[in-house]
Amino acid sequence: MTGEKKNKGLARAAEIYQSRDKRARELKADGKKVFGYFCCYPPVELMTALDILPFRIMGDMDEPITVADAYLPTIMCIFYRSCFDIAKKGRYDFFDGFIGAHACDGAERVSHIWRYYIKSPCSFFLDIPHTSHSAAIDFFKVQLNYFKETLEEFMGKKTSPERLKEAVSLHNRQRALVRDLYDLRKSDPPLITGSETLQVLISLMCVPVEEGNTILEEVIEEVKERKELPEKKACRLLIWGSLIDNTAFTDLIESSGLNVVIEDTAIGTRPFWHDVELTEDPMDGLALHYLKEFRCPRTFRETGPSYREDLESRFGYLKEFVKDWNVNGAYLNIIRNCDIHGYEVPAVRDYLEGLGLPVLVIEQDYSTAALEPLRTRFQAFAESIG
Amino acid sequence: MEAERKKKKRTSAKTLQTAREAGYFGKKMLQNALKAREEGRPTAWSMVTWWEGELIAKAMGVELVFPENWGAFCASVRAAEPHLDRSHGEGFPSTLCGYARNCLGYARNMADNNLEVPPDAPGGGLARPTFLLSSGAACDARYKWFQALGRYLEVPVWTLELPHTGVKEYFLPGNKEHNIRFIVSELKEYVAFLENLLGKKLDWDRLSEIVDQTFKTLRIAYEVDLLRKAVPSPMVAQDFWSIMIPHLYLPDDPEAYEFYKRVYDEVKYKVDNKIAAIPNEKYRMMFSELPPWHTLGFFDEIAERYGIALVIESWSYHAIPPIPEEELEGVTDPLELIARLTYRMWTGYNETALEYGVDPGFFMSAYLKWAKEYRADGLFCHPLMSCRPATYTLLHTGNVLMDKFKVPSVVIDGDIVDLRVFNEEEAFSKVEAFVETMDHYREVRKKEGLPW
Ligand code: SF4
Ligand code: SF4
Repeated sequence: MTGEKKNKGLARAAEIYQSRDKRARELKADGKKVFGYFCCYPPVELMTALDILPFRIMGDMDEPITVADAYLPTIMCIFYRSCFDIAKKGRYDFFDGFIGAHACDGAERVSHIWRYYIKSPCSFFLDIPHTSHSAAIDFFKVQLNYFKETLEEFMGKKTSPERLKEAVSLHNRQRALVRDLYDLRKSDPPLITGSETLQVLISLMCVPVEEGNTILEEVIEEVKERKELPEKKACRLLIWGSLIDNTAFTDLIESSGLNVVIEDTAIGTRPFWHDVELTEDPMDGLALHYLKEFRCPRTFRETGPSYREDLESRFGYLKEFVKDWNVNGAYLNIIRNCDIHGYEVPAVRDYLEGLGLPVLVIEQDYSTAALEPLRTRFQAFAESIG
Repeated sequence: MEAERKKKKRTSAKTLQTAREAGYFGKKMLQNALKAREEGRPTAWSMVTWWEGELIAKAMGVELVFPENWGAFCASVRAAEPHLDRSHGEGFPSTLCGYARNCLGYARNMADNNLEVPPDAPGGGLARPTFLLSSGAACDARYKWFQALGRYLEVPVWTLELPHTGVKEYFLPGNKEHNIRFIVSELKEYVAFLENLLGKKLDWDRLSEIVDQTFKTLRIAYEVDLLRKAVPSPMVAQDFWSIMIPHLYLPDDPEAYEFYKRVYDEVKYKVDNKIAAIPNEKYRMMFSELPPWHTLGFFDEIAERYGIALVIESWSYHAIPPIPEEELEGVTDPLELIARLTYRMWTGYNETALEYGVDPGFFMSAYLKWAKEYRADGLFCHPLMSCRPATYTLLHTGNVLMDKFKVPSVVIDGDIVDLRVFNEEEAFSKVEAFVETMDHYREVRKKEGLPW
């Protein structure tokens, strides 16, 4: 194995976070195939089972969007514009495959456009239904099978249900470890900061699952034994909404008098909160998991008979987060032009306020250059709680 | 004088007599729903679902109104602003779809008025719905918006599924039929939902009649499109944006069918007699995707000043090219006919997309086919602040048209409801400069041996 590991635990996570493609490029040089994928919907288990490294495509808040302007209009989700921008600049030129997904509008259209301008030896566009009706789950399973066959054809080998089950177990192990890590944020102060957690979670999305699991085990052990704890602050914050993939943002929040204790986002709890059920045909468990268990508001949930009941059925899980992590303030993070989260703002706010939490809503521009002006809003929010 | 000029320019001068009469259908929809509500019959607010959900609801005796269409109406009479403010006050981001914000603000007003239509509602308002019919097609707004209405209306929302494969995936063995089967099973669930909600059974014969009528109306609307390939163009986008209402919203209505027969005759007469929609047609442009409803007169002015005819436009509002006969052989189940119809809408240009190696098949690929068939000199791109799907692929479409056919595009920002985004003076100067670009590329196409 090239690229012998020097660091362990948090330091290793920080290292991967800093140079996200480094390990993937090393592995590629050793002959491993690397596939970039959008959002949390393409099952990573299928890629792992075929010895492919699934690499989560992210944007770069530090990089001004320039090249994408000729391809994607400014009204598009800025996160996906950024993903495309850095890809067009060559940042993802090591991909052997590209997996687009009909996760949300932004992901869907950028997937199509991506395939025209950025060529990879293999590509697949995963259609994802909008509901979790039983017909939708059956349909999704069919789509997952097409996805699997595309990977198998490219890799020139077939996977077996046994191998797939092993991959599911490995990823479930990762999910369990992430939940253990989140448990370490229940104390006051939390044993690990939001920025550190983000580094760990992002590192998991850039390396093979086994390596990620080792990092997690090391991190958990290290954090448990920590002598120097993060600073205790008056506000224990829940973040809900569009993803955050840069610690500049969490640093800004945490240096404004808030402790981030839990994030209900696509690089937070969402990909890890439920295990994939090990069904006899593993494809059943995968279809069920990604369409039904995974809680992104991009999937329509049946409305209840009343607004209150509807809120409860859609956001009831947040109540557990608030209780178990002793949350006393919520921040709704909306990347500008992210409609999926934008439409939810009044409803989520109603729900969280109903739990007695103060709520801060910010539409932001996914740019570190535009972060500083937000500081006063976070500070004022922290003061209102403290 | 200036005020008068402005007033004149708000609406466009339609070139077809039939287009001038089409406003009737929009009013008919709104009034039918208000009447149904008064008489205690079921009503629904519906997304455009490209006939997937509407036809079944109608067969169940539900009167439908379309908040997207009503949004366009509010914008055209410049009555959307107070609704937008209201929606903003509720905490909805102002980057969301303009029609959605218009509707959310209106629903807030309704909630304040015991869920009845507020007295000053534009066009008589949207009748209180028995349920909401949302859709997973085209954009996230189409189901997130209706879900968000739960805050005010507390009525059930049904979300229809419509598969969105990529082009390559569409051609994977068996995938298309899987997609159709999925739509059919979803439609069965939808029928069960309606039967349960309305406490009555679906009249399948009535549904078959409705489906039959719809196929006929769409066929003739498509034939009108074919006539438009003529040079000079017998009708323009200013006409289409009026006549699209009946086939898009009321294709099952025999009146709509009769109307299209007249449209067809009128357009055919103009083609046969070489009567141009605009007298000095010099440039033939395509338009994508939704126009600035509050400033439609702009297009008359560019016709007058530069001889620009918008010969084909707005893919998502057109009738689909008919389904091949062999695909329909032996298909009698009205649910399957509907599934095939709507699916065709979204995949009908996949062959074109495959031919040119592009994605997606919807929204952009039609323009590739049209560029050739309608002998287009350019594409007028109208990116909207607040309609994402109409905007996402615009630049891409422009790039591909240039790559493949040396057809240039011009980008003029605007919006469907927000008046402030469209800067008319700037738009005129851009178009003026673009005329030269079109001249230039005509030469380039000639040199490269392209047929127009
Ligand atoms: S809205 Fe949902 S699907 Fe879209 S990027 Fe965010 S988490 Fe992913
Ligand atoms: S974003 Fe566009 S397509 Fe979607 S609901 Fe709004 S107007 Fe309709």
